[in-house]
Amino acid sequence: MKKIIVDSLKYKYPGTDNLALNDISFEVEEGEIIGIVGKNGSGKTSLSLSLTGLIPHFFGGGYGGKVLVDGLEVRNSTVTEISERVGYVFDNPFSQMTAAKYTVYEEVAFGLENMGLPREEIKKRVDWSLQLLDLESIKEKYPFDLSGGQMQRVAIAGVIAMKPQILVLDEPTSQLDPEGSEEVFQVIQSLAQEGITILIVEHKLEKIAKFCDKILLLHEGQLIDFNHPQEVFSRDDLKDYGIMPPVFTRVCRALDIKNPLTGHYPVTLEEVTQLVKNHE
Amino acid sequence: MKMTLYVAKNSIVHKSDPITKLTYCLVAAIVPYIIPNHLFAFVIMLLSISLLLLGKVFRKMIPIYILSLFLLITIVIIQGIFHPDNVTPLFMLGPITFYQEGLLIASLLIIRIINMLSAFGVVILTTQPDDLIEALVKKGMSPRIGYVIGSVLQIIPQMSSMVGTIMDAQRSRGLETEGKLSTRIKAFIPLIGPVIMNSLIATRERSIALEIRGFNSKRKKTFLRDEKEFLFGKPYQLLLILCFIGAIIWRIFQ
Repeated sequence: MKKIIVDSLKYKYPGTDNLALNDISFEVEEGEIIGIVGKNGSGKTSLSLSLTGLIPHFFGGGYGGKVLVDGLEVRNSTVTEISERVGYVFDNPFSQMTAAKYTVYEEVAFGLENMGLPREEIKKRVDWSLQLLDLESIKEKYPFDLSGGQMQRVAIAGVIAMKPQILVLDEPTSQLDPEGSEEVFQVIQSLAQEGITILIVEHKLEKIAKFCDKILLLHEGQLIDFNHPQEVFSRDDLKDYGIMPPVFTRVCRALDIKNPLTGHYPVTLEEVTQLVKNHE
Repeated sequence: MKMTLYVAKNSIVHKSDPITKLTYCLVAAIVPYIIPNHLFAFVIMLLSISLLLLGKVFRKMIPIYILSLFLLITIVIIQGIFHPDNVTPLFMLGPITFYQEGLLIASLLIIRIINMLSAFGVVILTTQPDDLIEALVKKGMSPRIGYVIGSVLQIIPQMSSMVGTIMDAQRSRGLETEGKLSTRIKAFIPLIGPVIMNSLIATRERSIALEIRGFNSKRKKTFLRDEKEFLFGKPYQLLLILCFIGAIIWRIFQ
């Protein structure tokens, strides 16, 4: 079942001449994890915002084409309507704290109160998301007293608790250490297994290669490629788009080690290990 | 840093309905202006101070009273010496004469100010901000206004921390921020620009974040916190409102 359909999407921010998104089309199936990559200014955040309805409803500007999320056409729906189906996590967790709540527990419950859920359901969901993100030990802490990494996990918990059908994450691990990043990606994977469709903007390409089903490569607002990680990271012209493939892929390219079945370079440690084992 | 003036104590005032306390605060602050009588204002002031004592928070009010001293002394000097109704000299300090009429007016103003501070203290020091906002939203106040009231206390310390960061950043680039007044004024301009820009950006981002967490949802908002049982609910609020109306009627027909 298609959860996201983007058809010929064009977008221009108010007061600018260049298209931030130029004729973008792709479709995403339910439960897929999609990594959005590209260098700064390539349109990653604009594309993410267009899935939440913030583009065009909040930002204004020139808009063309069609975006359907979980059957809802973004242009004809309000951000509030879309927010019940699409969750969005910012790269800056500080701004995502409501500044109206005094504990992590209350902070995570904020969206659920707005949804008008019964108190017992709110508590159930908050407990679930706190457990998922390993935040139970700090649930009584004041949100602004947390470290950047903890705050980032609280921001994710607050969105996940709303149980959106689609989750868009803009650099959700930017303030996390390697262990914290791995944990967040594990959570993302388990959410996808529950049927949640996930789009993630991320510069940590090793993680993207490991966890994503497909990669959407953007450059100057245009869709360059939308394919499996092995195919995208095996492209010869990646440097032209400011992308450095994962280290395993670079090593294998240098040694000309390709997967004989697909003809592509491996992208994860597991793949490389398997190839070497088979070779032996 | 949590910025709230609330003082957690186990008292009957803390357990009282936040709306009743807010109603008391407003009625107690306004009625002494409607009924311009020294004794009446003094009794209300004593009542407000008694509530502070009962709530075990009177000591927290002392710095606020001390802060208001400058204003109170100014009132005594200006009214006591310069009020246009001054006729009867009461005492002299060197060449300066203080008049009875002016000092009487000053004393009423002082009682009203102390009463007002104390009444606000009863609400602010004995009520959790969340309880008050939640009670007001349940009474029909817009959640937007509730958010503004609730968030302002938290955003101010965040902004002051941001100012510190920006100041450090500018200092590291050679900006002199300490020393003579002229140096400080010069430093103000390169500091205020980034502070305003950062605040605007943060506000914009936060409004987006609220939007996508359903803040503008048309659905009836629910509350995470269990319903609290408060003392002195609706009948007492009604009684206070009746007192307020009574004061207005008294003023009209007196």
